[in-house]
Amino acid sequence: MRATFLLSLLWALLQGVPAAHAHAFLQRASPAVGSTVHQPPTELRLWFTEALEGAFSTVEVTDAAGTSVVAGPAHLDPGDGQVMIVPLKPLAPGRYRVKWRALSVDTHTTTGGFGFEVAP
Amino acid sequence: MPRSPRSGAALAALLTLALPALAHAHAVCGDRVFPPTLTMDDPGFNDELSLPTIQYTPIPPSGGNPSGSRTDYGFEWDKTIVPNAGIAINGDYIFQRGAGQNLGGWDNVTLTVKGQLPCWESHEFMVSLGVIHEFGGTGARHLVNAGAVDPVGNTAPTIYIGKGLGDLPFDYLRPFAVTGEFSYQFSDAAHISPNQWNYAASLQYSLPYLVQHVKALDMPEFFGHLIPLVEFVYAKPQSGGATTGTIAPGLFYEADSWQLGAEAIIPGNGATRQSQGTGFIVQFHLFLDDIFPNSLGKPLFEF
Repeated sequence: MRATFLLSLLWALLQGVPAAHAHAFLQRASPAVGSTVHQPPTELRLWFTEALEGAFSTVEVTDAAGTSVVAGPAHLDPGDGQVMIVPLKPLAPGRYRVKWRALSVDTHTTTGGFGFEVAP
Repeated sequence: MPRSPRSGAALAALLTLALPALAHAHAVCGDRVFPPTLTMDDPGFNDELSLPTIQYTPIPPSGGNPSGSRTDYGFEWDKTIVPNAGIAINGDYIFQRGAGQNLGGWDNVTLTVKGQLPCWESHEFMVSLGVIHEFGGTGARHLVNAGAVDPVGNTAPTIYIGKGLGDLPFDYLRPFAVTGEFSYQFSDAAHISPNQWNYAASLQYSLPYLVQHVKALDMPEFFGHLIPLVEFVYAKPQSGGATTGTIAPGLFYEADSWQLGAEAIIPGNGATRQSQGTGFIVQFHLFLDDIFPNSLGKPLFEF
């Protein structure tokens, strides 16, 4: 009982640790990391754990041949500085690769990448 | 039965050899985040604070002496002087129980100068170099007399290596990473405390790496913060004494600006089992570069 209380108290305190300017890591994506989608997406959305500097953050999306399928510049969601949006060209069935480089507002740089597949 | 001071001190000296320095820092290289490991250091350097690190070590009965235990309450503060290089200071308060006496006091202070070399991002490979110095005589005198604290200092040039396996072609193996730490420890007085080789390694499986780079999990977000791992830490005296070491399986929860870690510490061979039983270590670690990016968490000098 006492241990449960102490653990609960510790967890509550941990939630209060300030993290307003941490490294920006990928929280989730649409299409999801490693997923197979049946409806070709018209855009890629990346949710990060921190707000980004849009001008210094980049996203590449390429097909299996390494050709870019990006239809326009990546940009931050006007209503949410933690979300990066990339318009995509019409996607044929196949595998695609995403590479991102994010600069958080405190100037920490992080990188990452993942794949997704458009089913026939 | 009263404990023989001599054999008790010998056991404690063995324990001192076997116990690792407490607490360490984390590092980012390419897509890989190497978390701060508990019984060895990680391959990078950053502004961080481990507070507290609590390690409990049971001491088995030996030579007619009753069993006892040792608990270390430690801290480490890593401060960058220039980007990716700086100094770290370690200290820990020791409680030792056994043979009808309970002792408490500070261990020797340890200072590390460490610098991280440019990492090979595409292969998640990084190397750091450092020199660790333990200041003999800074610990509590009565603990030195009891053999719980090393009576002399030492200096250990050290190399730290980290390799993420994100460049493997097999998706579900990519979250694996290995790290290593190797040093030769020069004693300030080798006839009292021998020179020794120290070597350590860890094998980690990063669920944060899995969900960010390989496959999103259809599970609560909590699981995407977990890193199961195992650490191996050994020391071999140059004088030919027995190799001692520990194996530490455990689990980390890694948040944006802090990490909570816990590991069991299991004696790694028969010689180690003579001086310690299976204990545990827990640590709360703060990433100061994320919490105070414009003050305490940034290098003193930036170019």
